[in-house]
Amino acid sequence: MAREQRTERSSFRRYFPPKRKVCRFCQRNVRDIDYKNVDILKRYILERGKISPRRVSGTCSYHQRRLSTAIKRARILALLPFLED
Amino acid sequence: MTQYETAFLISPNLEEEAIEKVISQMAEVVKKKGKLINEDRWGKKKLAYPIQKFEEAFYVFFLYEADPAVPFELERQFKQTEAILRYLTIKKETKEKMKRKEKEVPEEEKSLPASEEKPTEGEDVGGDVEEEAVEKKKKDEEADEKEEAVEKEEKVDEEVSLPEEKEKEED
Repeated sequence: MAREQRTERSSFRRYFPPKRKVCRFCQRNVRDIDYKNVDILKRYILERGKISPRRVSGTCSYHQRRLSTAIKRARILALLPFLED
Repeated sequence: MTQYETAFLISPNLEEEAIEKVISQMAEVVKKKGKLINEDRWGKKKLAYPIQKFEEAFYVFFLYEADPAVPFELERQFKQTEAILRYLTIKKETKEKMKRKEKEVPEEEKSLPASEEKPTEGEDVGGDVEEEAVEKKKKDEEADEKEEAVEKEEKVDEEVSLPEEKEKEED
C-alpha cells in the first residue's frame, strides 16, 4: 500500500510539476544591487528581518551573493532592521 | 584612483545650519585630494532601529574618486565628530569586473546603453527596477496563488485516494 501511495504522488508531480522559479534580477539584466534601493531589498527579507533563502526567492547564486551584501550594508545604515518582532 | 561611496548619518537634534556645516566640512576633506562626483541628501529619515536613542537621522551620501588615503581621513573625521551617528564606505565596482559580467549578457542588450559606463548610472539602473517592481509584485502574488491551489489539489488527491484503497483491500 505504501508503494502505491508513492507512485500515485509521483504521477501527480508528473502532471503538475512545481513551478520553476527564475531569478528576477537575471530577468531584468540587473548587474549590481544597490544597498540604497530599500524598496527592492525589502522584498527579499522575511517577516523577522532575515534574508530570504534562495530556495524561497529563486534568486541565482550570483545575485543572491550581491543581494546579501546589499542587505547587510543597508542594515548598517539602519535602512533595514537587523531583527523585527 | 578608485571610486568610493561614503554614507553617513547625522544626528537629528542639530539645527539645519549646523548640519550644513558638518556636510560642507566633510565635502572639503574629499575635495582637497579627490574629486567629488555626486552628493546626495535624503534629509531626515526614520531609522529601522534606534541608534544612540535617536529614532531618525539625516542621511548624506558622497560619491567620489580618490586615493585610498581620502576615505581613511574621512573616517577619522567621522570618529572625531560626535554628530555623526553611523558611516559606511564602500568601494564601487571597477569597470573590468563589470565588463566580464557583460559578456554573459545577450548581444542585443549589450549594444543598448553606452551611458552605462558612467559612474552615476548605477542609480538609473536602480530606477528601472523600481518601476518594474509593481509588475514583479503582481506576478509574485499570482505565483503564490497558483502554488497554494496546487497544494490544495494535492491534499484533496491524497484524501480521495486513501478510502479507495481501503475499499480495494476489502474486496
